[in-house]
Amino acid sequence: MNDPLIEIKDIRKAFGAVQALKGISFTIDPGEIVALVGDNGAGKSTLVKIISGLFPPTSGEIIFNDKLVKFRHPSDALNAGIETVYQHLALIEQLDVADNVFLGRETTRWGAIGRFLGVMNRKQMRVDTRVALDDLHIKIPAPTMPVRMMSGGQRQAVAIGRAITWGRQLLILDEPTAALGVEETEQVLQMIERLRDTRKIGLLIISHNMRDVYRIADKIVVLRQGVHAATLDKTETNPNDIVAYITGAKDGNIVQVEA
Amino acid sequence: MSQAPDSIEKNTTQYTPPQDDTPDSILDFFKRLFQMREMGVLLALILLVLFVNSQSEFFWTSRNIFNILRSMSTIGIIAIGMTMIIITAGIDLSVGSMMAAAAMMTARLMYTDVLPPLPAVIVGFGFGAMLGFINGFIITKIKVNPFITTLGMLSIARGLTLLLATGIQGTVASNIPMRNPHINFLGAGYVGDIPMPVIIMFSLVIIFSLFLRYTVLGRQIYAVGSNEEAARLSGVSVDRVKIFAYTLTGVLCALAGVMQAGLLSTASTSAGQMLELDVIAAVVIGGASLMGGQGSIFGAVIGAAIMAVLRNAFVLLQFPSYAQTITIGVVIILAVSIDQIRRSERTIFTDIRDRFAGKSG
Repeated sequence: MNDPLIEIKDIRKAFGAVQALKGISFTIDPGEIVALVGDNGAGKSTLVKIISGLFPPTSGEIIFNDKLVKFRHPSDALNAGIETVYQHLALIEQLDVADNVFLGRETTRWGAIGRFLGVMNRKQMRVDTRVALDDLHIKIPAPTMPVRMMSGGQRQAVAIGRAITWGRQLLILDEPTAALGVEETEQVLQMIERLRDTRKIGLLIISHNMRDVYRIADKIVVLRQGVHAATLDKTETNPNDIVAYITGAKDGNIVQVEA
Repeated sequence: MSQAPDSIEKNTTQYTPPQDDTPDSILDFFKRLFQMREMGVLLALILLVLFVNSQSEFFWTSRNIFNILRSMSTIGIIAIGMTMIIITAGIDLSVGSMMAAAAMMTARLMYTDVLPPLPAVIVGFGFGAMLGFINGFIITKIKVNPFITTLGMLSIARGLTLLLATGIQGTVASNIPMRNPHINFLGAGYVGDIPMPVIIMFSLVIIFSLFLRYTVLGRQIYAVGSNEEAARLSGVSVDRVKIFAYTLTGVLCALAGVMQAGLLSTASTSAGQMLELDVIAAVVIGGASLMGGQGSIFGAVIGAAIMAVLRNAFVLLQFPSYAQTITIGVVIILAVSIDQIRRSERTIFTDIRDRFAGKSG
């Protein structure tokens, strides 16, 4: 058994007197899909924001690639190889697909002078975008199309495509199918499964859709009011069981992860 | 690599062949050109020019055209910076005051023989940069609203201008002479038939248009204004981008101020009063949105040209000055209204149309 890709150890977060997270611990292996589930206000988003560097935990540790990491800014997590696709997608509507994929990590031309002046190599960025999205079987119109002219499913695909292009190790998806129709949802789920099988990256997925969760996840982490209610193995659970843990009808069986 | 399941392959209606990725063909370029908001504004300018030309024989003479261009050069140069600020969803009300303050700084250093002309001009530019930087710093680091910050700076910089103009022997309190052949040339000189300010304006317009389109920082200016949170999450230094836009505007104000002082051979404490309104109007007529994320320098220059041609036309056609003031106000509102309708957002016009078409809701 390999070392886990990321280990979340006893993460706690307090906002003033409110205890948002009360000791969460789990691991994600390379090539593993972990689903993070829980009712509204259970602390899922808070946990994701901590892992992606938006704010630090009050206490607890994150071990990434066997190293203790402390993220102070989203770019710290990005540089470490952790990409997050937020529910609101975080795309720039006025810019085109290639500009969005490369935003903050633009390719420059003219060697050192171009890097100093920040002269972009737009042609190269478009070609690279096309190659990267084709590689993921993501179908979009031309990379020169502004995002504001695209459908919800296309935007989702671009956001995921951007994250995967850069996120070589851990990909966090916050409600990746919430805004999508039936067919688009299916495409995104297949894309996620393909990623697990071909890229061997770790995936953390937040979802309210138990059917989706049960289908793609290898492991399910249940939060309830900031408490780590359960860690369930897919082979030993079913959708009704998951819901029971979410609502509190069932309690207990925290599988303590060994350090 | 796993093969894509059939369900995905079937759903490829939007797939376009790779040749669409190749950089613009000439046809694409023109197609996109005519979809741009700026082309509508340019068309309006051309129609306006044709109309005025048909009404006055003095309009289309190189002397008059160059006078119009020179009269708009101050607004045009500052509009370059203002466009960037407005694209970031900001605003700068202090441009007129910064322009006066930087010019007064330069004039004072020269007139009192503290510095030779060139260093004095450089210090003036640095002073403009500093005022602009202070705007950007307060807006990003203390998170004061740009409107409030620059409203404060409007007053502060005007006060500094008055301070710099006082206490010098042999001058009227409100003016310091600016007599240097090189600086006078910047404001009043000609290269062939073309006034120097016009050459400077068009050079800067070209340089900064390329900057916005082809550099990392230029793209990030659009990103910050379009979706600040998304830009931040993508690793863009949002604060740095905004501070750059305000600082650059400060420098452009200093340049415009020194040029104007050169033209008039004097730095005046009343220079640039109400200029911020003309500059903002030019940028907005040119298609920028105060919500951020869109706008172009080319559009802003066309906007400035429309206002300059209108002003010129009212003089040539001997209309009363109140008509000019009212017309410019109408043009500002009209330009933005047309854009709103064109983008087919819900307006009174779409409501009326839907009512007659018998649509509900």
